[in-house]
Amino acid sequence: MGVLDISVTSLIFAFLLLLIPVGISRVFRLGLIRPILNASMRMAVQLILIGIFLKYLFLWNNAVVNILWLFLMIIVAVFTAVKNASINWEKIWFPVFLSFSFATLLIVFYLNVFILRLDYVFDAKYLIVLGGMLLGNSLRGNIVGIDSFYKNIKREKERYYYLLSLGASQYEAILPYLRESIKLAIKPTIAAMATIGIVSLPGMMTGVILGGASPETAIKYQMMIMVAILTSTVISVLLAILLTSRVCFTDYGAMGDF
Amino acid sequence: MIKYQSIYLSFEGKAILQDFSLDIKKGEKVLILGPSGIGKTSLFSLVLGFVLPDRGEVFFDGELVDKRSVWSVRKKIAYVDQNASIGLGRVMDWFSFVSSLKANQARDFSRERICELFELFKLHCDFLKKDISQLSGGERQRVAIITAVLLGRDVFFLDEATASLDKELKKTVVDFFIHRTDWTVVSVSHDSQWMDAKGVKIFDMEKRKWAS
Repeated sequence: MGVLDISVTSLIFAFLLLLIPVGISRVFRLGLIRPILNASMRMAVQLILIGIFLKYLFLWNNAVVNILWLFLMIIVAVFTAVKNASINWEKIWFPVFLSFSFATLLIVFYLNVFILRLDYVFDAKYLIVLGGMLLGNSLRGNIVGIDSFYKNIKREKERYYYLLSLGASQYEAILPYLRESIKLAIKPTIAAMATIGIVSLPGMMTGVILGGASPETAIKYQMMIMVAILTSTVISVLLAILLTSRVCFTDYGAMGDF
Repeated sequence: MIKYQSIYLSFEGKAILQDFSLDIKKGEKVLILGPSGIGKTSLFSLVLGFVLPDRGEVFFDGELVDKRSVWSVRKKIAYVDQNASIGLGRVMDWFSFVSSLKANQARDFSRERICELFELFKLHCDFLKKDISQLSGGERQRVAIITAVLLGRDVFFLDEATASLDKELKKTVVDFFIHRTDWTVVSVSHDSQWMDAKGVKIFDMEKRKWAS
């Protein structure tokens, strides 16, 4: 048993659905025809490439290659996060990289070793797929968390300085902002956990079911991945803020140029 | 106590202080006068290490203010900033936050002590339960002033700390700070109560000299 394949001809029919958004864009002059076609092209090319890559990654299933691929995904996630942040990215990319790497590796190997009890913990199917899900799903939280931290301190510069004048250490002075940012970063994940299954059937569950597994297996995977996403987001945001704060503040506790 | 030695300070390319020197002695009550933008607040920021001079040195109690000493210098100064930047939540939450800081854990932040100061500055003890977001400018300033007093330090930097208070309260606050001979008080203010108070030395930032 396995998932029903889609033939190339059938896929063309899937793309024909695009005529509807394109048509709507034309009638209502949304100006979205070009962006829709552009994005569709990019999606197709990127997925075809990743399809080829994954095919060989699964075929070789070599520990070193798999780990390298995971790190490549981490680096792309890091640069997406730091480019989106309103801070000087050259300063913070390395601490953010350390934070993302630690959170992702810790959780992925925990899943592979203790939950899935894989004989081969570097198995591409699990290492790369789970790692990718963790990175992808915690990315938004990470961006929101890191960015809001520095934005809030910048906006409330006077209050932050006032805290320092009260005798707060660097850590004590950033603590109120750290709290707010972590809360903000994991709020969406908590909300998603609370409504999962009712409002939406998550991607991983859909995939597992289509892949031929029973719904029982699918829900167990889904629970595992949701908890993993929440945990890795908390770890990476916390570490990223603590580590970047070491380079973003001067020895005086004042704000450098971020 | 506080010594500025040939300070050059610029901000975003604009020169604010040039070859500025000033000496404030222990126990002095100093009023800094001058139009806005002339660098009055910068005098506080320099000692507290929030801005660094391009050239020149700042000394506090004989010690050069640098990246090592600044953390202990901050613990010896009670600062009330222009906006009275007290936090959110209830007034009592604010006081417990300030007292929870490691530097202040030995200080007396008891309810009795707070209420005693409240009474002095015409606030009721129930005021502790009020939400900070609902306070008027004058009430915020009084909370910030009371916070400064509770810190138990003997150097005070007051940046327009009495601006939103009524005449009577301004007088109360000025008298309160003036009468403690051991306190060194530096106040930036446009209020006449400071100018008229006895024993206050006035420094004119525009002319860069003490007014007689």
